[in-house]
Amino acid sequence: MKDIYILGIESSCDETSCAIVKNGKEEIATIISSQIDIHEEFGGVVPEIASREHVKNITIVIEKCLKEANMTMEEMDAIAITYGPGLIGSLLIGLEAAKTLAYIYQKPLIPIHHIAGHIYANSLVHELKFPLLALVVSGGHTELVKMKDHFQFEKLGGTLDDAIGECYDKVARVLGLPYPGGPKLDQLAKEGNPTYPLPIPLHDDSYNFSFSGLKSAVINLVHKEKQAGREIRKADLAASFQQVAVESLVSKTKKALENENIKYLIVAGGVAANQKLRIEITNMCQELGVTLSIPPLKFCTDNAAMIASAGYYAYKLGRRADYYLNSISSCPLS
Amino acid sequence: MINLYIDTSSSYLYSALIKDKKILQEVKENYGQKLSVEALPQIIKLFEIASITPKDIEKIFVVVGPGSFTGIRIGVTIAKTMAFSLKKSIIPVSSLKAMAISARKDTPYIMPLIDARRGYVYGAVYDKNMREVVKEQHILLTELVDKVPDTYSVISNDQLPVTVSREEYDPDILKIVTFYDSEKPISPHLVNPNYLKRTEAEEKHGV
Repeated sequence: MKDIYILGIESSCDETSCAIVKNGKEEIATIISSQIDIHEEFGGVVPEIASREHVKNITIVIEKCLKEANMTMEEMDAIAITYGPGLIGSLLIGLEAAKTLAYIYQKPLIPIHHIAGHIYANSLVHELKFPLLALVVSGGHTELVKMKDHFQFEKLGGTLDDAIGECYDKVARVLGLPYPGGPKLDQLAKEGNPTYPLPIPLHDDSYNFSFSGLKSAVINLVHKEKQAGREIRKADLAASFQQVAVESLVSKTKKALENENIKYLIVAGGVAANQKLRIEITNMCQELGVTLSIPPLKFCTDNAAMIASAGYYAYKLGRRADYYLNSISSCPLS
Repeated sequence: MINLYIDTSSSYLYSALIKDKKILQEVKENYGQKLSVEALPQIIKLFEIASITPKDIEKIFVVVGPGSFTGIRIGVTIAKTMAFSLKKSIIPVSSLKAMAISARKDTPYIMPLIDARRGYVYGAVYDKNMREVVKEQHILLTELVDKVPDTYSVISNDQLPVTVSREEYDPDILKIVTFYDSEKPISPHLVNPNYLKRTEAEEKHGV
């Protein structure tokens, strides 16, 4: 069978990325131009600055990717592009570039939902087995998705307010950790004990999450302790926060696996790098006899290889977009 | 020799294919919020109607601003990707100068204006030879008016409080491309929008 090469482009937030993936599973080359240092100064991603960086970098990133792969555009079978969700100005840069490439080289254009990309990051390491449950956790998303087959998504639940990664970054900020504070909070928590009482968020029967209340609880706690003239034990507070945040993710995931009788779990998105989450979710899966797949860190954070991988399966299913494809800042997984 | 012109710096798409000092095909259409959807398909239509393939293009002229930030990036991204793919170069065009070049009024000075809200404009002043008498900038309209040396007229598609006569901007693409043709083309990687304004985050942050 002929090998299929997909060129993927991703620009939904603050990374400009281009990748080439063979047959949906073999990464040939990935280039990521990260803007993290630029946004650090502002304590978070500034959408207009992100867009300005994307337009500067886009053609350079594409050229570097082709060079690293030692391939030409003519050798690509299709172009996969993140059309949403994400920052609209950022998405547009990748989208216009992808549409233009598709036209100039007369290649099929494959529209990919960003979350689908995160899930398919797993197929760069293991073939997906159905039915599966995917826990997608990142700075912009917290979702539980069931899949019966390729591109058959059923959203079981999601966050009602802040995404988990967003909550981590905000709590980290309260603790005085520089942006992006999530990973630093994870480190700090290792040095402490969960001695501060915090509420487990949205402890109910749904598959939904809520993290804004938890964030407020941390802010209020810090405020009260300060007023009482007590020093905050930062490592303990980090551990306390992490304890309930991870507990919330793990308990809802566990419930979904049991109720839906699913034996295969995928964890995806930038927060999949969280050490505590990895430990707790591994233990839970062992207990249930569920096979767990977490992609390596480089495929967890935003990258175009996951888009190209998803693009392969979408290509096989005949999914195509025309040149009128638009970017959408928020859209259901499909 | 065939050239492509692209301007998406407002809600309009102005685009044309130009061959030997003649417009082969052009589009001048207000797409409003739909510009990101329509820009590429409409440019493709120009190629199809003119029976030209992108490979036949020599250079791409693209308006790099000032204007709508998102708008500028649409045209610049299309132009950069096209030029990069076709191994062609780009001539960046100023939206304000393009307006001044297209002016039909015969006054010693011409002031192209783009509304930047809250009393601000993107503006400049050019003489008849298209020399920049007041350089293009993001400025209070009242301040810009004080800098004009002599009788002038305004060209703008925006309703701005100006006391002199104003003409609507209808780009004379042939004239713009002819004027810019002697400029040195640059690599697509190096073409970037000219916003003339920092982001609000940068302004607040004092960067």
